[in-house]
Amino acid sequence: MKRTRHLCGLLAALMLVLPIAAGCSPAAASTTAATTAATTAASTTAADSSTPADTTAAVVETTAATGKLDKVTLQLKWLPQSQFMGYYVAQAKGYYAEEGIDIEILPGGSDIIPEQQVYNGVADIGVTWVSSLLKYQSQGWGLTHVGQIFQKSALLLVSKTDAGIKTAADLKGKTIGSWFGGNEYEIYALLEANNLDKDKDVTLVQQDYTMNQLINGEVDAASAMTYNEYGLLLESGIKESDLSVLNMNDAGVAMLEDCLFVSSDWIKDNEDLYVRFLKASIKGWADACADPEAAGQTVYDVDQSVSLEHQIYMAKEIAKLVVPEGFDSTKIGYTDMAAIQQTADLAFKYGLLKEPAVLTEDTVTSKYWVTATS
Amino acid sequence: MRNKIGKIVWPAVVGIAFIVVWQLGLLHKLLNLKPFQLPVPSEIALTLADNWQKALTDCGVTISGALIGMFIGSLIGFMIAVIATFFPKWGYGGMIVITAFNAVPVVALSPIMNLWFKTGMGQKIGVVTVVCMAAMAINAYSGLNKLKPFSIDLMHTVAAGKWTIFRKLRLPNSLPYIFTACKINIASAIIAAIISEYFAASTSGLGFGIKDNLRKAEMAMGWSYIVVASMAGIILYLIILLVERDAIKWHASQR
Repeated sequence: MKRTRHLCGLLAALMLVLPIAAGCSPAAASTTAATTAATTAASTTAADSSTPADTTAAVVETTAATGKLDKVTLQLKWLPQSQFMGYYVAQAKGYYAEEGIDIEILPGGSDIIPEQQVYNGVADIGVTWVSSLLKYQSQGWGLTHVGQIFQKSALLLVSKTDAGIKTAADLKGKTIGSWFGGNEYEIYALLEANNLDKDKDVTLVQQDYTMNQLINGEVDAASAMTYNEYGLLLESGIKESDLSVLNMNDAGVAMLEDCLFVSSDWIKDNEDLYVRFLKASIKGWADACADPEAAGQTVYDVDQSVSLEHQIYMAKEIAKLVVPEGFDSTKIGYTDMAAIQQTADLAFKYGLLKEPAVLTEDTVTSKYWVTATS
Repeated sequence: MRNKIGKIVWPAVVGIAFIVVWQLGLLHKLLNLKPFQLPVPSEIALTLADNWQKALTDCGVTISGALIGMFIGSLIGFMIAVIATFFPKWGYGGMIVITAFNAVPVVALSPIMNLWFKTGMGQKIGVVTVVCMAAMAINAYSGLNKLKPFSIDLMHTVAAGKWTIFRKLRLPNSLPYIFTACKINIASAIIAAIISEYFAASTSGLGFGIKDNLRKAEMAMGWSYIVVASMAGIILYLIILLVERDAIKWHASQR
């Protein structure tokens, strides 16, 4: 009898506590999502990399028809969202299957590091930022850059206009939010280019994946991607005219972001497989950039963690990065070595790399893109 | 005497052998890892030597947050145990609520505390406080109530009041239990403080250092933080052991 009473008390207490834990914070929800993603990623075994690649279109069609597809796993840098719409569109429209590929897209998360996933063989191909990839390469990780999807930097420092941050020099004495883990170097470059000491002249704090710290005034300037967090601010009801934006491209400190990379060992045996993957992906990206609304819907069908409106907003902004104004849309995925060099130079100058990056065919190569687009 | 030396020598030999195996790369062969994935001990030591000032500052931030949080959490836990002892009918419900709080994982707690506290330190203390309440409440409650029947009978015989029984019998009786709770709490406080820093709005602390460096492929730096964290944990645990040895000499566990 007494035991039953205790049990009832425990249940009542649990009911009291659980909603608090579950409902209180959007950040808590995203953590759960990240953890789930981690589990998914961990439980996925590496695709068989020894499968001989099929070369001719006829053979490809036969394999597609008989259902004998080569398995390829793609590790995203973040949660499923329009940032990666090209791959989702290619998957939804069957472009991978046409190339004889059975694609599996693994979501990323705050503690999923694409470089480590690909090197360890959990995934075959990864999406990451170029600066981060250069860092891993400099530490000895055998990884190769094999395609540049975003042609421009999307990182902004956003502040409310009443903070009075009109130029980078105004950041002096302010609190700045960054996600760190490699996402801070453009900010370091911006500060140093304006003669500000990152340790003395400003306070840098870790930012969570919401924009609450800026909205609540805990930071003066917050990191925001054009395609995601900036949209979140607008969706939260803040007017564009009340926001002041510092753009890394304008400040001349832009580092390249989303690119495709593989393990140098894997690519040796899978050159043709990768070329077919790239072909299908470029087709997906071209479709997605031509019709971002449809692409946003495609991504939303895969993952409903954010609203359809936000996915479409993101898709439109992403299209501007993949095919910027004046960029030839047939060149999607093209690697601009000058931009890579600038990223490498900035990374070295501002302390991400201890030595200048070694840019060779082994670390950054355009040859698969050339084959895929010819 | 020989027995005592053996107690120190054998674990030390095993520890040194492990480090040698690690240094020589046998561990890497066994686990199929490259040195840039898992740095060798000498590299970790050199990195730590180069950055010891920053590592110590970060260690200070984490440990002070952990200790303050542990103190507040243990105090609240003890108060709840006292209330539950004096008012068993409804006080026991409080114990159950505390236990339920203890079940909330740190990864869920940290972002919530971010909403309540503006600084990384406040958030850290908040998380550690919640984590440390349950172990103290449950242990102290046992200590305050698991009395030897003859002693409570004796107290009743001499018509001792509730307060006197508490002061002269319950409180001393609970001391060994409180130290047990402290030993549990010191470990969980450091772990909670480090994990909370993964999510904190600051860039200081061991947790941030471990997360940030491991993410950025600065493995040796990340591992040197891990070494500092475990050293701090061991030292604090030993301090509690020493205090315990001194404080409850009369208890069976110390003879």
